[in-house]
Amino acid sequence: MYKLFLTLRYLRKRRIAYFAIAAVMLCSAMVLIVMSVMGGFLDLLKTKARGLLGDIIIDNRSYSGFPLYDEFIADIASWPEIEKATPVLYSYGLLRFSETTQTQTVRVVGIRLADVYVVNAFKSGLYYETYYPGTTTLAPQAQPRVGFDPQEIIEIRDEQGRPVGTGPRPVLPPEHQAALERSWAAGLRDTLTPPTELTAILRAAGLPEIVGVYDLVDDHGPPRFTGNELPGLIIGRDIIAERLPTAAYKRFWAYPRGCAVALTLLPLSATGTADIPVKQPFRYVDDSRTGIYEIDSQHVYCDFELLQKLLQMHATERVDPGTGRTIGTVPGRASQIQVKLRPLVAGRPVRPEAVAQRLSEHYHALAADPRFDLGFDDRMLIERVEALTWEESQRHIIAPVENERRLVTILFGIISLVAVVLVLCILYMIVLQKTRDIGIVKSIGGSSTGVAAIFVTYGAAVGLVGALSGAALGTVFVHHINEIQDFLTWAFGWRVWSREVYSFDAIPSTVRVEDTVAVIVAAILAATLGSLLAAWRAGAMQPVEALRHE
Amino acid sequence: MSSATRPSAAARPPASADALLVAEAVQKTYVMGRTTLVVLRACDLRVRAGEFVAIMGKSGSGKSTLLHILGALDVPQGGQVYFGGAPVFAPPGRRRLRTTALDVLSAAERHRIALRRRAFGFVFQFYHLLPELNVLENVLLARMVGTRVLAWPAARAAARADALAILERVGLRDRLRHRPSELSGGERQRVAIARALVHRPQILLADEPTGNLDAENGAALLALLKGLHADGQTIVLVTHDPGVAAQADRVLLLEGGRLRTV
Repeated sequence: MYKLFLTLRYLRKRRIAYFAIAAVMLCSAMVLIVMSVMGGFLDLLKTKARGLLGDIIIDNRSYSGFPLYDEFIADIASWPEIEKATPVLYSYGLLRFSETTQTQTVRVVGIRLADVYVVNAFKSGLYYETYYPGTTTLAPQAQPRVGFDPQEIIEIRDEQGRPVGTGPRPVLPPEHQAALERSWAAGLRDTLTPPTELTAILRAAGLPEIVGVYDLVDDHGPPRFTGNELPGLIIGRDIIAERLPTAAYKRFWAYPRGCAVALTLLPLSATGTADIPVKQPFRYVDDSRTGIYEIDSQHVYCDFELLQKLLQMHATERVDPGTGRTIGTVPGRASQIQVKLRPLVAGRPVRPEAVAQRLSEHYHALAADPRFDLGFDDRMLIERVEALTWEESQRHIIAPVENERRLVTILFGIISLVAVVLVLCILYMIVLQKTRDIGIVKSIGGSSTGVAAIFVTYGAAVGLVGALSGAALGTVFVHHINEIQDFLTWAFGWRVWSREVYSFDAIPSTVRVEDTVAVIVAAILAATLGSLLAAWRAGAMQPVEALRHE
Repeated sequence: MSSATRPSAAARPPASADALLVAEAVQKTYVMGRTTLVVLRACDLRVRAGEFVAIMGKSGSGKSTLLHILGALDVPQGGQVYFGGAPVFAPPGRRRLRTTALDVLSAAERHRIALRRRAFGFVFQFYHLLPELNVLENVLLARMVGTRVLAWPAARAAARADALAILERVGLRDRLRHRPSELSGGERQRVAIARALVHRPQILLADEPTGNLDAENGAALLALLKGLHADGQTIVLVTHDPGVAAQADRVLLLEGGRLRTV
């Protein structure tokens, strides 16, 4: 009993121990922060990659693409493991906003929107589709404009909520208005985006708020669609809107929903030869946010078939150059097939690696089928087609981050040995100070191991208190890491986390329970280790010599 | 008892039915660099149960060393000490003068620890109280030492009652929460006596208990020791003060490393 009693008493009364506790606390917090940020970064990377890609990706790493994608998708549609598969096209282009003449290079992604909604998490990142469900489409469309309903007169208030008069209620074209009211009734509110004048008026009137940016009709008449019907284009959010420090996005009046933009594309032949650039006008129908800055600041999405046609990758007739006669078909090409798997088949979990292997084999078997009259170039493109799980396909990104996380954790762990040395020094000092007490305890029957145990327990207690407070400090720090960075940026202009460098627009701020437990256990063990030398010395003291100590 | 501590026939002390503590030919030498200092040459001593023995000697004569050896705090190079007829130390050939943190594994060390916990009570000249603990805690510590953590809740009430009773006897019942730094020298020494007695030792070993006290406190302490002796407590007291020694039943003089009766 005396061991526990004296340990607790020394912990309370020996203020020098607070320094050891502080050292353990800071080191634990430091390691936990590093593990959490790096681990969070890795988790986010994996989550986003999976959300963007689906479970399995089939491609040949060539912008020229590969043929037989639709035949293959139709073939595997009956597989019990396959929930959905969809082709995707990738290219580069020049995006130009007609109103502002803003121009930038973008990565153009051709998708079948309805299929992509099923295959990956693309839909959850769409802004207008969230608040106006069912209105985002890549098909040709005119621009929806806000008009006025003369049958419904509402009180108009200014931004401070003061009444400034009455007027007809602003409304969207019926399809958009109905969609807005559905999401409003479901409780969806855009709390992040700063309100526009229009949303403020409707908010004051207690009506469903028109969120986002819509152009007004020119004549104060009813809402309607105006302009030519142009194909829809979904634009990465960091292209179209400005991210505020509050994580909200500010949209600009110059880029209303449905505004015209133009894409200039460079078609590539099957051999990779560039053709004459083509220009295609689109309407901005929605913006997408994946959370990966490189994607959100560079990607635009249009209809797969349209992009295929623009890039001249669609199916065409094969003409004999000698006779000018049609001798077959040149199949259309896709850059990638994204596949979503069912989690269970007949009650058993589906193994993506095994399915990827089978898909790979199946594709090559299909391509070898003599009924497909493929040319030499297509066969070359097929050669490199392989199916990979989302993890394998992103291995080149994930593996370095995993290694980096391990390395940084080890480095900070080594730095944390300072705490072990500090615990050792402080406990050794306490043993020297308490030499006479050790003699007293031994004179009343304390054993050598008992006395040593006092200091080992003391070290463990220092580790426990330090580790728990360090875990608490680290958790609070990680939870507020983005606010801390915003404060540092505001106060000193320091921005540690660069969105351009680290892909994500915010520092990951999740503390994993297993990391916390590991840090606490390691800190307790380290502090206990640091106490061993002092404990050994205390235990080995001769009672008579200890009692005579001056 | 293990074979390591069981006395052989030759090592048994001469028959003396009432001898509680026996020292036979105890030797202790200190080596300091090239200098060898023989402190105890061949000390013989018998203390009967209930006896009050005073050991006198000049400063540096080895009185405290002898007391430490009698109380199993120190290890002699030669000779043996018997307590209740059983040897306290291993045979000389197997005796270790230095201990380590793992010495609890040695049967002889375990035996000495057990004696210090149950049979011996120590009072030192400089009180040796733990400054972080109050009066009651200092006294209770001697009871905690022999009790496991899980057994303490059950043993605590009895230990506390014993501690309060002994503190009542030494006149410190009203100073339970005071720390040693808040007590006078005499009071501290009375706390030390209470700590030495709380586990009801068979023998009280006092090393110059009045050496650091003024005459008044010294006299009060001697009166306390005499009262304890009158109740049957065996006491071995070391002093250089003839006035203190005169209170004992028997006075021995340590001179030239040997004990002789005065």
